[in-house]
Amino acid sequence: MGSFCSRQKPYNEADTEENEQDAEIERRIARETKAEQHIHKLLLLGAGESGKSTIFKQIKLLFQTGFDEAELRSYTSVIHANVYQTIKILYDGAKELAQNESDSSKYVVSLDNKDLGEKLSEIGSRLDYPYLTKEITNEIKTLWNDAAIQETYARGNILQVPDCAQYFMENLERLSEADYVPTKEDVLYARVRTTGVVEIQFSPVGESRKSGEVYRLYDVGGQRNERRKWIHLFEGVTAVIFCAAISEYDQMLFEDETKNRMMETKELFDWVLKQSCFENTSFMLFLNKFDIFEKKVQKVPLNICEWFRDYQPMASGKQEVEHAYEFVKKKFEELYFQSTKPERVDRVFKIYRTTALDQKLVKKTFKLVDETLRRRNLIEAGLL
Amino acid sequence: MPQYQQPPSWRLEGGGQILDLETAVKDGILGGGAGGCGLGSATCEKVDLKKMIEELEPVEDVPSVFICPISLEPMVDPVTLCTGQTYERFNILKWLSMGHLTCPTTMQELWDDAVTPNRTLHQLIHAWFSQRYLRFKKRSEDVQGRAAELLETLKKVKGQARVQALKELQKMAVDHSSVQKTVADYGGVALLTSLLGPFTSHAVGSEAIGILVNLSLDSEAKVNLMQPAKISLVVDMLNEGTIDTKINCTRLIEMLMGEKDFRSEIVSSLSLLAGLMRLAKDRRHPNGTWTGLSLLKTICSHERVRGLIVSVGAVSQLVELLPNLSPECLELALHILDDLSTIPEGRVALKDCPRTIPNAVRLLMRVSESCTQYALSILWAVCKLAPDECASLAVEAGLAAKLLLVIQSGCSPELKQRSAELLKLCSLNYTATLFISKCKLTRTIQ
Repeated sequence: MGSFCSRQKPYNEADTEENEQDAEIERRIARETKAEQHIHKLLLLGAGESGKSTIFKQIKLLFQTGFDEAELRSYTSVIHANVYQTIKILYDGAKELAQNESDSSKYVVSLDNKDLGEKLSEIGSRLDYPYLTKEITNEIKTLWNDAAIQETYARGNILQVPDCAQYFMENLERLSEADYVPTKEDVLYARVRTTGVVEIQFSPVGESRKSGEVYRLYDVGGQRNERRKWIHLFEGVTAVIFCAAISEYDQMLFEDETKNRMMETKELFDWVLKQSCFENTSFMLFLNKFDIFEKKVQKVPLNICEWFRDYQPMASGKQEVEHAYEFVKKKFEELYFQSTKPERVDRVFKIYRTTALDQKLVKKTFKLVDETLRRRNLIEAGLL
Repeated sequence: MPQYQQPPSWRLEGGGQILDLETAVKDGILGGGAGGCGLGSATCEKVDLKKMIEELEPVEDVPSVFICPISLEPMVDPVTLCTGQTYERFNILKWLSMGHLTCPTTMQELWDDAVTPNRTLHQLIHAWFSQRYLRFKKRSEDVQGRAAELLETLKKVKGQARVQALKELQKMAVDHSSVQKTVADYGGVALLTSLLGPFTSHAVGSEAIGILVNLSLDSEAKVNLMQPAKISLVVDMLNEGTIDTKINCTRLIEMLMGEKDFRSEIVSSLSLLAGLMRLAKDRRHPNGTWTGLSLLKTICSHERVRGLIVSVGAVSQLVELLPNLSPECLELALHILDDLSTIPEGRVALKDCPRTIPNAVRLLMRVSESCTQYALSILWAVCKLAPDECASLAVEAGLAAKLLLVIQSGCSPELKQRSAELLKLCSLNYTATLFISKCKLTRTIQ
């Protein structure tokens, strides 16, 4: 017996050391997993140009340290690129309309500006854009003010004119200053097609500073080719924030100009709702770009979009806007209940009216989202 | 007979002393004047005892010597019999007029049927109630004052302070009916309504609704509340709140539906209907079930919304629910299903649900005549839609025997007529002998 024991000793020591290390590693893994569990994963989904990245930027501005000067400066090239892209799209669009439309004369750019147009169109097709000098700025401004270009802009929905067009055109002087540093608003308007996935981690600080909720927000590219990258993110998501730009009921996709954007959003939302990994995920639907919707709905009837063809206008002015909005909201609600199996109807589904560019509104909206998610947490833990 | 209770010590107004019954009697409760109110307050002399007792009702700790042994109510005009027992005048005279010549409590035979007014006791009772009355009035004013204060606060504060103010106001409104009037007088309804909007947090919204639902809302207030943004908020809270919040939201919507300008689009919300079904199905809270079903029934009376109700799967959920419902809820649920059977989608949903026929057959002649009527109507709708399929299922479930029961019962003639027609419809696929065998009441049905 004795020798048996003494022979075991050296092995035991080595073993215990290893066991000790293993145990330590196990403990660390357990701690980190536990820490991860308290982090709520939020996914920003939606079709291209629905406002996901703008919301992402807003969250960054609201709950993180915002953008420092270096980050702001990094947007300068993007903003300048937007300017060149916009004017090119408009000029090329004018030419196209002049050829194809019956009332072609109003789309013919004046003789003086034609050369400008050709030059700017050529610049816009390059991979690298030159810095926005005062000279070029004046040329762009002249072209923008051309009657034909304005007419073309009014038909912007059939071209791929970005929503930031007017804003940047109106601020051209400032954008071309030598020491231009983009403002927060400029950054929010800047348009870059997201590719891949971006994430930030933040803690919304409310009145009860001890709330301690930690969110990790993921932003993705919305175009079709980007969507296959989404599937990797779908596990363990607390909430999906689905952005739908309700102002695009009369526009076509960037990646497929034969497809209406609202129909694309409808199909996409349907697809997302049916994913089995989202069985217990809360859905926050952001009906975005309300500011553009407001103006558009009084001029362009909703039933231009196939999904909204049974819309009947009731009043006019502000009442009509409200009525139209409620109609769109009901359509999405209908879609939700159609796409959701009866067992899943218990998951949280809320609709919010948003204008992603308005920081105050986004802050208020997010406060509500946070409250809902916290309540949901408490309910699931049986505390409510 | 009421047990003798140790009377509680009273605190005299102004004096600030605590007295027991003996000292109170010695010291001035018996003070002069018609009212016998020793408290120096001019008002209580004029206030009539009967009125005070009514306003203070229900009072819990009335001293037992003040209670009439016949009616168990406080005595307003106490009279004493020759046996020394005291009763309320009206009650004892009634007793005697019925021919009884005994004292009700002691059972002794009365040697003298005269009744003597017990002035001493009357004064004591009056004084006791006066004191209580004064205290009640003062507390009422306090409460009303506090309510007015809270309303002022609500106009200024936000966030957590707002939630706290609302919570306090809600508690007061529930405990004191006088607060409701104060809230109405100080423009509280409009204020609370203005707090509800697309950016209202759940905490604020649920408290505000909790107060509003206990007030009487005029037409203007109701129309104000019917704005889509506010209704959306109420629906959201109905879906996410605690059971009390859910019930409050449901009750509020029901209140709005009573308004004459009510348009059915307001309740044509799938979220609302799904939320109500969830509330109705929640077995842990039967009063929630009743409230939810009640609103669903009211909504169902609007024909245009019936299709939506069917589309959220209400039919199968209600049918599954039937065996577990209390009689009041059962009537509501059957009424809803009957309404839904008037539209094609409803009929199809009823037919497709496997439990419809067995549950409906089971309910015939089991709970009440109206339940039987609804169940019969549902069975009719289903059997007419698919006679071959459903009639045989129904007969297998024991329908025939039940229908015979209805026909032989004391139910209304229309009901019997319908039962006879349904019986005929079901018998079509059977030979006479086979059908008769199906008509026998099996033990389970009995």
